[in-house]
Amino acid sequence: MQPAAGSLASGLAADRGRGGTIVRIAAVKKAFGEVEAIRQLSFDVADGEFLSLLGPSGCGKSTLLMMIAGLIDPTAGEIRIKDAKVAGPRREVGVVFQSPVLLPWRTVLQNVLFPIELLKLPRRQYEPRAMDLLRMAKIDEFSGLLPRQLSGGMRQRVAICRALVHDPSILLMDEPFSALDAITRDEMAVELQRIWQANRKTVIFVTHSIREAAFLSDRVLVMARRPATIIDELPIDLPRPRAIAVTEDEAFNRLVRHLRNAIEASHAE
Amino acid sequence: MRSKIAKRAAAIGWPILVTAVILLAWEISVRALGIRSIILPPPSAVFAAMAERHDLLLTHLWPSLYLTVLGFGLSVVGGIFVAVLITYSTIVRKGFYPVIVVSQVIPKISIAPLFIVWFGTGTLSSLLLAFLVAFFPMTINAAMGFESIDEDIHRMARTFMGSRWQIFWKIRMPNALPYIFGGMKISITLAIIGVIVSEFVASQEGIGYLIKLAGGLLDTPLMLAAITALSVSGLALYAIIVGLESWAIYWQPPSDAVGAGGG
Repeated sequence: MQPAAGSLASGLAADRGRGGTIVRIAAVKKAFGEVEAIRQLSFDVADGEFLSLLGPSGCGKSTLLMMIAGLIDPTAGEIRIKDAKVAGPRREVGVVFQSPVLLPWRTVLQNVLFPIELLKLPRRQYEPRAMDLLRMAKIDEFSGLLPRQLSGGMRQRVAICRALVHDPSILLMDEPFSALDAITRDEMAVELQRIWQANRKTVIFVTHSIREAAFLSDRVLVMARRPATIIDELPIDLPRPRAIAVTEDEAFNRLVRHLRNAIEASHAE
Repeated sequence: MRSKIAKRAAAIGWPILVTAVILLAWEISVRALGIRSIILPPPSAVFAAMAERHDLLLTHLWPSLYLTVLGFGLSVVGGIFVAVLITYSTIVRKGFYPVIVVSQVIPKISIAPLFIVWFGTGTLSSLLLAFLVAFFPMTINAAMGFESIDEDIHRMARTFMGSRWQIFWKIRMPNALPYIFGGMKISITLAIIGVIVSEFVASQEGIGYLIKLAGGLLDTPLMLAAITALSVSGLALYAIIVGLESWAIYWQPPSDAVGAGGG
């Protein structure tokens, strides 16, 4: 499953050598009162794709993610997941927030199993899966600890395991590493790639880090600030798995320059 | 780095030392100045009175403690119940909650005589007064606890399709526990005051009655003995709550503070 090197011109075509369209954003608008947060967004996400939404803080990308999660409704347009209109939170979606939002009174394992409880799924059946996920995230030895006993990076790993435990087909990530230090961030990006390759979820990853977007994604959508629009689309056809050393390659830096220029051009306007 | 045990010993040791110094200064100055026992007996006389008349003290202490604990218990159950209503009912939140908050300012203890008129001089008046004064801080604290959940946690639970009921039991309740225990610590103290005041006003038994009686008989050592017994019991009740708190809220990092205060 090599990511296809789609051309820029092919634009919003969903088929990138993976499955068909799993998420469709169709002419979505969002206004908060008078303030127009998102003007007119349309794009498709292919099944199994790792898509990044890259843009400056406050460009409405988190708002878009919350709409895909079914937590807020678009003012106009619609979002479809597996061809069904999103009208509220759905089982096939897992969300990782900016902060880990773990429950302080639950152990790591209990936190990971929290969605199972809420969804009333058989806990005994999912406990081995939760442990597998923790093992994959290399935190299985901490399964009995409380969140306060973990570092920031480990807490965010727990949050990722929690988002995956009920085996959703779509993972939404809202700047999940923005609160971490630079070194931990790089580590987490490598880990996330590994977890993603093992699980093959569709990931929609919101970030304001150009490097992170280029490193992790199959495709990057660049968003401009207020009201949010897509100003550029860039397929990332670097081979996987990518090691952090790839960030020193000329090919990688060309992509980063391209994305930076796109963002700066939008600011200049 | 000092060991934990040394830290704890210091935390307990210093207040004990200060107390001992105060008692000693009291003892010495009363003797040196020749103050009459009827005005201020020395601590030794108070302890002697406690030892000598422990039967009398206990006879009156039990009903007071019983009513205190009962009134307090009712205020905890009732306070949490009303706090749930405040959290989930718009009418209660918008209509009653402000009234409850404002009524905090009213010294509820002042209606003790009214309770005597309504419910007589028996235990019912004491119980109801204890409940009334303890109820308000309990309600307000619990309501604050239920309200104070992090918006992100709420969103997280919603993305996993948590129901209101699940969000209440699995998030709001544990989240409110520190607030509830904070309320309990205020309420237990107030419940004691409620019972004692109602016993002051009209009663034939209880430690409040005994304090008043001893005052009338000018038996100051007995009065101070009763006050001491009451204080020690109050501290014990408070300590039980602090102990329960640290057991129930196991996820909070242990604080340095030991004993009274507790956090």
